Amino acid sequence: MVMEPKSSTCNLGILDSLGDESIDELLKSWEGFRVSTEVLLKDNGDLSVGSDFVSNVHVLCKHGLDSLLQDFFLRSLEETFERNEASKFWQHFDAYSDLAMPEINPFEMKEDCVQKVLCKALEEICLEKGYQEKCLLMLVHALLSYQEVISKGRHPSDVERVRLLSRYQLMVSSVLMTSLPRHFPDILRLYFKERLEELSTMMAGEYEDDNETQVKDDMDLDERTKLSSRVGDMDVDETYHERKISENNKLVKNIGKVVRDLRSLGFTSMTEDAYASAIFMLLKRTVHILAGDDYRSSVLESIKEWIQAVPLQFLRALLAYLGDSVSYDGPSSGLKSPLASHPSSCYPGSDTPSEGLVRWQLRLEYFAYETLQDLRIAKLFEIIVDYPDSSPAIEDLKQCLEYTGQHSKLVDSFISALRYRLLTAGASTNDILHQYVSTIKALRIIDPTGVFLEAVGEPIRDYLRGRKDTIKCIVTMLTDGPGGNPNGPGNSGDSLLEELNRDEENQENTGCDDDFNSDDKQAWINAECWEPDPVEADPLKGSRNRRKIDILGMIVGIIGSKDQLVNEYRVMLAEKLLNKSDYEIDSEIRTLELLKIHFGESSMQRCEIMLNDLIDSKRTNANIKATLTQSSQRGGEQGEAGVSLHHLDATIISSNFWPPIQDESLNVPGDVDHLLSDYAKRFNEIKTPRKLMWKKNLGTVKLELQFEDRAVQFTVPPLHAAIIMQFQDQTSWTSKNLAAAIGVPVDTLNRRINFWISKGILSESLGTESDNHIFTLLDGVVDTSRNGVNSANCEELLAADEEGERSVASVEDQLLKEMIVYEKFIMGMLTNFGSMSLDRIHNTLKMFCVADPPYDKSVQQLHSFLSGLVSEEKLELRDDTITSAFTHLCQFWVLGSLQNTPDQSLSDSLKSINLCLKLWIFSMHLSSAILKMAIRL
Amino acid sequence: MTTINNYSETQDNTPAAMARTVTASKQPVSVAKTVDTQSVLKRLQSELMSLMMSGDPGITAFPEEDNIFCWKGTICGSKETVFEGTEYKLSLQFPTDYPFKSPKVKFETMCFHPNVDVYGNICLDILQDKWSSAYDVRTILLSIQSLLGEPNTSSPLNTQAASLWSNQEEYRKMVIKTYKPASA
Repeated sequence: MVMEPKSSTCNLGILDSLGDESIDELLKSWEGFRVSTEVLLKDNGDLSVGSDFVSNVHVLCKHGLDSLLQDFFLRSLEETFERNEASKFWQHFDAYSDLAMPEINPFEMKEDCVQKVLCKALEEICLEKGYQEKCLLMLVHALLSYQEVISKGRHPSDVERVRLLSRYQLMVSSVLMTSLPRHFPDILRLYFKERLEELSTMMAGEYEDDNETQVKDDMDLDERTKLSSRVGDMDVDETYHERKISENNKLVKNIGKVVRDLRSLGFTSMTEDAYASAIFMLLKRTVHILAGDDYRSSVLESIKEWIQAVPLQFLRALLAYLGDSVSYDGPSSGLKSPLASHPSSCYPGSDTPSEGLVRWQLRLEYFAYETLQDLRIAKLFEIIVDYPDSSPAIEDLKQCLEYTGQHSKLVDSFISALRYRLLTAGASTNDILHQYVSTIKALRIIDPTGVFLEAVGEPIRDYLRGRKDTIKCIVTMLTDGPGGNPNGPGNSGDSLLEELNRDEENQENTGCDDDFNSDDKQAWINAECWEPDPVEADPLKGSRNRRKIDILGMIVGIIGSKDQLVNEYRVMLAEKLLNKSDYEIDSEIRTLELLKIHFGESSMQRCEIMLNDLIDSKRTNANIKATLTQSSQRGGEQGEAGVSLHHLDATIISSNFWPPIQDESLNVPGDVDHLLSDYAKRFNEIKTPRKLMWKKNLGTVKLELQFEDRAVQFTVPPLHAAIIMQFQDQTSWTSKNLAAAIGVPVDTLNRRINFWISKGILSESLGTESDNHIFTLLDGVVDTSRNGVNSANCEELLAADEEGERSVASVEDQLLKEMIVYEKFIMGMLTNFGSMSLDRIHNTLKMFCVADPPYDKSVQQLHSFLSGLVSEEKLELRDDTITSAFTHLCQFWVLGSLQNTPDQSLSDSLKSINLCLKLWIFSMHLSSAILKMAIRL
Repeated sequence: MTTINNYSETQDNTPAAMARTVTASKQPVSVAKTVDTQSVLKRLQSELMSLMMSGDPGITAFPEEDNIFCWKGTICGSKETVFEGTEYKLSLQFPTDYPFKSPKVKFETMCFHPNVDVYGNICLDILQDKWSSAYDVRTILLSIQSLLGEPNTSSPLNTQAASLWSNQEEYRKMVIKTYKPASA
């Protein structure tokens, strides 16, 4: 016996006090105790040695060796347990040692036997453990009976028993833990996973059966109708339901048994981990399956229902079976959870759920929310792309975020998605704008305060500001109704025109509200529904009152000022109006009215005048036609010219209010010219002091070319018409002569005449000189098929031609023109004053540059413009050592235009040193700059 | 043969009274003598505009600081005259009844010229008795520029310069010697 000497030494004090006789007795009893212990603990234990064992224990206890014998007994128990049961237990699982590496195919096959093995192993070990416990109890019994003898009937306390049992329990679990193979937790997890899946398929069937509201995509129509027909006989369902439950209970009972066994072996936390993780895995998978990539339906409800139906059902059964709420908490306290008022039809016949269950439910729901939220956030870009359709998904996400509060995650993830997928050179401005609008709409749902929208919108706005065609696209979006944009995604929901309409309605509504509510009442209501800003709100960005979400406002915010937008709109409107061949402007009037509501009357005034011009033109035109009929009744000689005033419609514009119009000289054919002057004369008669000034290069001409065998119709700009009319009398022209006849430069002619060449009406051949081409009329030799195709394409070609040939100067051109004016002014002032600071240039321009339009740029814009001039080496920037914080004090000099003598530049330096010294008073940082200047001197 | 039918045209007209750039010569002269400051300001502003946009080489002027009645001008000596390569600063003071009275024009830079005295005063007919409201800053500056190359030696302010004018080489030397570029 290894233990003996050691235990003897422990009890030497007791041994000393003993006589020989007692020692003999002691040794004999010890030997007896040892032997009976061994017999007891042998594999097929024999309880018959019981009485012998008890008497030996008594003797030993008499000598005060009770603690020694307890130790010894437990130690032998441990040894036996370790030697036999533990190793045997683990041997069961040896086959699964490769489980540690997950997702290996062979283990899939073993899945079904895991359960069997685990059950068997647990059963065995529990049996053994039960036996050992019985042995221990025997010892306890013996000890107790001894104590009873000693204390003469005083009732022995339970303390000893509990202590020994817990020691044993501790021993068992520590033995098992120390010898724990690494794959055991995986086995447990696998086991629970399987069980749960089995259960969930079982429950899901039932769940699907008794939930006719359940919307599953894969549920076919037949089933649905079947289900709805069953609504009537719920009683039948009820019993069916009960049966199902009992089936489930059997399964749950099995699981419960396993859990209980595992707990008794000391694997409590490991077990809990295992089934919790299994439940979460299952939940995650279910969420993924339910949510998937379909954003057109809300899945949150079905997920919640699933949680109620499967994992909670399982947990409820499990907890009920284990009969404990001990491991979680005491009996449910007076503190009711919010879900206590939720006694659901999902637990038929159950009372209010226990605290543990409630806690599980909260955990599960949180997890479900978080999973769904992560899933949706990762796909937020796609969701927003098909926004109006995907609003259920957005609604889901909103609820999830309310629960989890992880808005910042959304912002970060979405911004990075935007950067990666949208804000790239490959995306068209239109698409970006559409996405921006959808984003605004979607995020407005998620977060009505607009805090996150602001964060998300910032990068988009920044990016769009860098694009040249942003304003143009916005205006197109504003003015064109749905479907007006063939290149765009064509969502009906993203036209800004609609937004304008809605805006108008809103305004009308709020107008009504104001009538009903007195101000006080409104203020009270506002105060009552006040909520603090979310914590993520940037305090610099102002409070929520000012952060009203208004799509148009945000769009205009991209550009910076509405003036630019209005200007661009004016140009587009002018283009549109000038290209109209009738006077129908109803849609334009409507758009303008809407824009007026939004941008104010005054800013749209010019556009209004433009529209009025059109209306006036229509009337004037009609009046002139009326005088024509009178005169033709009297004279009647007009008809034979072939072209009469009847065919002429004029648009009379007040050009002060129109954007600058491209002017191009053009000699129209004689009779047309005559017609025009006749028209002008009649106009003058009607509106006496006024005279018409024709813009002959603008407008459209409808003409028909008649050949011997066919006639072709075209709608072309006047210049094209003038070209082809020259061929009426003379079938062949050289380019120089033709250009002279029409009164345009040769290169313009060459560009335009291509239209007729491509139509197969004219042909081009090289003349005597290389740059003097000869154009000849092709008379009917062109095969008609080709021509047919051409006339079909006529409109497109015309449109394509028009692209580079706008009748109205674009906004960029206007801006360029403005900038030229500014440049001249800047040059002028700098030549006269030598050098000026940015601020002074800015102020001077503001004061003296009263051109049309007046100088309205910001200092920053001026600075970048000046920088441009500096890089063109027209200006020179000195003192570049001054940091950007002081850019407004930078000095600009004119280079070149006036020759600087060396003396002069010296005096310039002197001036700048003065300036630097002044600066130095403000900031010590500039000392190096001064030093530098001093050295240069 | 080709016949062209149905020629209809949509065209635009601009009223004649558009007048985006108003040149001084077009300014009405027959306005009453009591001119309000507003119209003077307008006139000067439009003169500035046309001067800036005209881009005549070698002449420029600009209002000082915030006073539009007080301008600084710059004139470059014309090529192939003795004043080639020089640059003269001028000051222009406009009266409140401009353009009915001529502005006071002075050289700020020392200019060795028969019709300019040591204080920079200029003897030029259009700045005195021959003034007309049809003149503007641009024409004044152009006149002074041409005066540099073609002085009126018959009524000199600077007799030394007038007597030296006949000897162009010596005169050139004198111009270089007396020329002090204006401090900016």
